[in-house]
Amino acid sequence: MGNVTLEGLTKRYRDAEAAAVDDVSLDIANGEFMVLLGPSGCGKSTTLRMIAGLEPISDGTLRIDGEVMNRVPARDRDIAMVFQSYALYPHMTVFDNLAFGLKRRGFAREEINRRVNDAAGILGLSPYLARKPHALSGGQRQRVALGRAIVRDPKVFLFDEPLSNLDAALRVNMRNELVKLHQRLGTTMIYVTHDQVEAMSMGSRICIMQDGRVAQVGRPLDVYRYPANTFVASFLGSPQINLVEAAVEPNHDGGRVLDVGGARIVTDCPPDRSRVIAGIRPEDFYLPGEAPGDAVGATLDARVLAVEALGAETVLLLDVDGVDKDLTARVGRSARTAVGDLVRLTVDTRALRLFDADTGLALER
Amino acid sequence: MSAPFRFDITHGALVVALALYTAFAAGPFLWVASMSLRTTTEISADPYALPDTLHFSKFAVAWTDGNYGTYFGNSVIVVLSAVAILTVIGAMAAHCFARYRFPFRRFLYFLVFSTIIFPPQITIIALFQILVEYGLFNTRAGLVLAYVAFQLPITVYILESFFARIPSDLYDAARMDGYSEWEIFWRISLPVAMPALSTTVILNTILLWNEFLYAVVLITDDDKRTLPLGIQKYMGDQLIDIGMLATGLMIAIVPVVIVYVFFSEKLIQGMTAGAIK
Repeated sequence: MGNVTLEGLTKRYRDAEAAAVDDVSLDIANGEFMVLLGPSGCGKSTTLRMIAGLEPISDGTLRIDGEVMNRVPARDRDIAMVFQSYALYPHMTVFDNLAFGLKRRGFAREEINRRVNDAAGILGLSPYLARKPHALSGGQRQRVALGRAIVRDPKVFLFDEPLSNLDAALRVNMRNELVKLHQRLGTTMIYVTHDQVEAMSMGSRICIMQDGRVAQVGRPLDVYRYPANTFVASFLGSPQINLVEAAVEPNHDGGRVLDVGGARIVTDCPPDRSRVIAGIRPEDFYLPGEAPGDAVGATLDARVLAVEALGAETVLLLDVDGVDKDLTARVGRSARTAVGDLVRLTVDTRALRLFDADTGLALER
Repeated sequence: MSAPFRFDITHGALVVALALYTAFAAGPFLWVASMSLRTTTEISADPYALPDTLHFSKFAVAWTDGNYGTYFGNSVIVVLSAVAILTVIGAMAAHCFARYRFPFRRFLYFLVFSTIIFPPQITIIALFQILVEYGLFNTRAGLVLAYVAFQLPITVYILESFFARIPSDLYDAARMDGYSEWEIFWRISLPVAMPALSTTVILNTILLWNEFLYAVVLITDDDKRTLPLGIQKYMGDQLIDIGMLATGLMIAIVPVVIVYVFFSEKLIQGMTAGAIK
């Protein structure tokens, strides 16, 4: 089992004014792949280190399988961790690196050999067991770091940005392997990253952190589609979501209508507001003829400022009269648009998200 | 064609420079080595001549009649003990300074390190008094303690700067693997810091092996004297027995050379270290 429960977990450093981690509550179920996502300095690594037992907890309660862990030393928590720098013991061979934790826990020699060989087999490290870390490539070192966690067969795996030192191709590769590993082992995994693609592709749930607090927790697509605030909305998705201020006006039939650069979008926005922030994902713009049949659309006239033909898709930078920011649209790869063209775009208004103009919090619709 | 030619010029200049430096460094050593095999009479006749007959028996004379066997034994006991204690205590202190954050850490580190500004002559009278009071005067244990106190700050300084460069993730990983702070020191810090440890071992060994001032003040019995005092024995008020002096010097030098040859690779590693990743 590996249920991890955080109740108001807080970390305050002595000479810092604001808490590094502020009242974080999170319930991670057994077997879940939870990703802590956020920009650097948001407290995600500190949270992970508190779970690991490497950082004292200032306030709040940490439970694993119901047991309070606040004062339990790291070695007694039955948790394994993979570090960003790999943290391999440079004076030991790969075999000894993998076996180091098992030796301390008093396993018999045969059991250690079996576990190390099993893990080495899974990770393709068998030919390298006699080598020292400096004679391995970055990807191999990463696997050793992973293997060191696997051989322990712990309740919970912790990952602290384990892929950020790898090159792009290897990173995609390891990402898939980690997902496979999680399916195979079924152990609880908590994974810290600042890479939204890693978070979206690996996590069963994502916890997005901002300034030491939890901004939103949810399944990847839910968080992507229904961001809790403008921070989450703009952190997830590439290119970034378009956030524009829009006036809310009464409609002729008594409803409300949103004015975004001349496009009038009927909305059920709460009646007490005159201004909101509208969030439109770049992929929710369509060139004429591209919109799916069921799209509920409003139209928007724009001038093309830049065209990025990426092959699989085309990203347009657009200038819309009455909107203070340039907008980004992601359209089909067959788009024949040139800089300076005037285009009439369709916006799928069902995908439109509204946020409070002052607090940035999502508005209930 | 010009490139190989230029290479030959630089190469040649390098060889000449190295030859000059080698002669400068090794010349006196070889001179003493040749004198150690000649008698004082022969040396007085022609100081720079090569040995006619090799008087190896002089070594036996120095070893037994000159009591060099005893001095050598004392030096080995005193230096090995002092270096062993220095290395263990120095490494522990350095590990703590580099690894843990505790109140007055900077102040304590400064306190330890600031003692290197005192020349040994300043402390010698106080040290003499202290050792007499504790019954450690004229004992090898007293000399060992004085050596440890004298060399500890620089040892801590060298090791601390090395320990501080070991990534803290390494310690965290060992903690996650279930090891206590004490085990982490022995199983991670020490092995990883091997190059730096070798540096301090060799520096301390050479320095203490040749140490004279503390030894001459704190030891009075002939049976407890170390090698540097033994060498002095051949330097009388009126007469210096140059031949035997050279023989004694060779007895004292050879172990240092052996230690250096044995550890030099590690020493250079320690000085150029940094590739821990």
